[in-house]
Amino acid sequence: MRVVIVEDHALLREGIVALLREHDVDVVAQAEDPEGLLRVVRGHRPDLAIVDVRLPPTFTDEGLRAAIQARMIHPPLAVLVLSQYVEPVYTAELLSSAGTGGIGYMLKERVGDVRAFMDAVHRVAGGGTALDREVVAELVRDRDAAEDAALERLTPREREVLTLMAEGRTNAAIAKVLVVTGGAVEKHVTSIFQKLGLPVAEGDHRRVLAVLAYLRATG
Amino acid sequence: MSAEPAALPTHEPDAAFGLHVALSAVVGAAVTVVWAAAGAGDFWARWVWFGLAVLLAVHALVRRVVLTPPRPGKAYRTALTVLAAMSVVDAAIWLLSGAGAFWPLWPMIGYGVLAATLSAVVYRHRLPGSGARELVERVDELTRTRTGALDVQARQLRRIERDLHDGAQVRLVALTMQLGRAEARLEDAGDELTLALVRGARDEASAAIGELRDLARGIAPPVLADRGLEAAAEALGRRSASPVEVDVVLAGRPAPVVESAAYFVIAESLTNASKHVPGAQVRVTLRDEDGMLVVLVADDGPGGADPGGSGLTGLRHRVEALDGRLTVHSGPGLGTTVRAELPCGS
Repeated sequence: MRVVIVEDHALLREGIVALLREHDVDVVAQAEDPEGLLRVVRGHRPDLAIVDVRLPPTFTDEGLRAAIQARMIHPPLAVLVLSQYVEPVYTAELLSSAGTGGIGYMLKERVGDVRAFMDAVHRVAGGGTALDREVVAELVRDRDAAEDAALERLTPREREVLTLMAEGRTNAAIAKVLVVTGGAVEKHVTSIFQKLGLPVAEGDHRRVLAVLAYLRATG
Repeated sequence: MSAEPAALPTHEPDAAFGLHVALSAVVGAAVTVVWAAAGAGDFWARWVWFGLAVLLAVHALVRRVVLTPPRPGKAYRTALTVLAAMSVVDAAIWLLSGAGAFWPLWPMIGYGVLAATLSAVVYRHRLPGSGARELVERVDELTRTRTGALDVQARQLRRIERDLHDGAQVRLVALTMQLGRAEARLEDAGDELTLALVRGARDEASAAIGELRDLARGIAPPVLADRGLEAAAEALGRRSASPVEVDVVLAGRPAPVVESAAYFVIAESLTNASKHVPGAQVRVTLRDEDGMLVVLVADDGPGGADPGGSGLTGLRHRVEALDGRLTVHSGPGLGTTVRAELPCGS
């Protein structure tokens, strides 16, 4: 796995690089601004770009725009956006961007949970999805306010499974988190798709998109 | 009389006035020649000169009045000038008719009484008037300085938010990363006790980051600071449980303090709508109207909202602090409309 890191704070950039190298990930380049990312993407054709949302020159959402642009240049590029805040609008833009690679949007401090972070890195690099639980929580919380009938029909356990699904986890990963068998998770997932009237989707990425599309469309 | 044009408020050459002067000079000269040719007896031509001069003076006066920009006291000053001019004319007639007993004294006393009465009336009215003007100026000044202070405050808050983001938050994130790496090594080494301590420390650091994030979001939500009011309103609309339509026509970005106030008006109104009239269609409209930013949040629910509710009162204070106005219309069966008008500042 060939990775490029785009982060303007040297302290964080070096921390992430050290962490990735400890886990035998090949960090091929580091950049500090959107221009740097695009240059690296054109030159190195990396598999994954880990990008900070706030980058120079205006320190607003340059990183997000640059990531979307990089995917247009190099569609198989997987993108893991790191941010200090959760912004559902940005998540939605990232998910609807062009490209075939995996997508992730996570809070920066999740990097400290090394195992979960490396899990997310591998998932995104493998074409999957990794959304921060805060993003998912926000979407589900807003749904609660609407007292949506379909979501109301879900059991608390199914709700947990739905949240983990929306984060981008596989059935096996969900089973591990909830300490249940894979078969139990499969049953929950089937039940959730039925109750929400979602088409049964193959593959993690499509599954996440289906769940998010449901949460957004009915919002 | 030739000095008269110099006293005009403008020194621009005036063709009509120049022609008048030239014509008067020619007529005067011609009459003088006729007087000389007729034997140069009693200098009767002086009356012709006098008439020409009075006409010129009237012309100059009218020109001055027309050219003076309207301002308080213009009519009063013009009246005094006319009275003074009439005194001069009387004196000139007295002089030209042989300077006998000084009869112009009587009309002059009349003019003086008239001018004094006029002045008394004008000053009587002007004194309270000038007091009101001072008050208006003071209110203007206070409005300006207060808006300025609020704007400075908003800018400082955004700077603090940025400093938090680039300073404390970055250090805390770096700290969680290092603690995380330490955790991984302790796990490998099997030191459960130390591992629990380090994990606890990382949880604390994460909690601190979360608190800083909430603080920053309260100052200005990221999407508002990054992309402005339209994007922020649309984001609020998408996140609301009610179906929301957003309609924005704005020329530019208002001052940060105005933007934040408008944002919180929309956020609070949408929360109220989805809480009290779930399912009602809500329409958010943002417009520039005569230097005011107008925010409208209207739902098609049954109406009857309480305009004195604590959320609305908080919003009203926020809007009024910027010299804006917040009104709530909620007649039964008419839905609820929250309207905020905010001076755009600058």
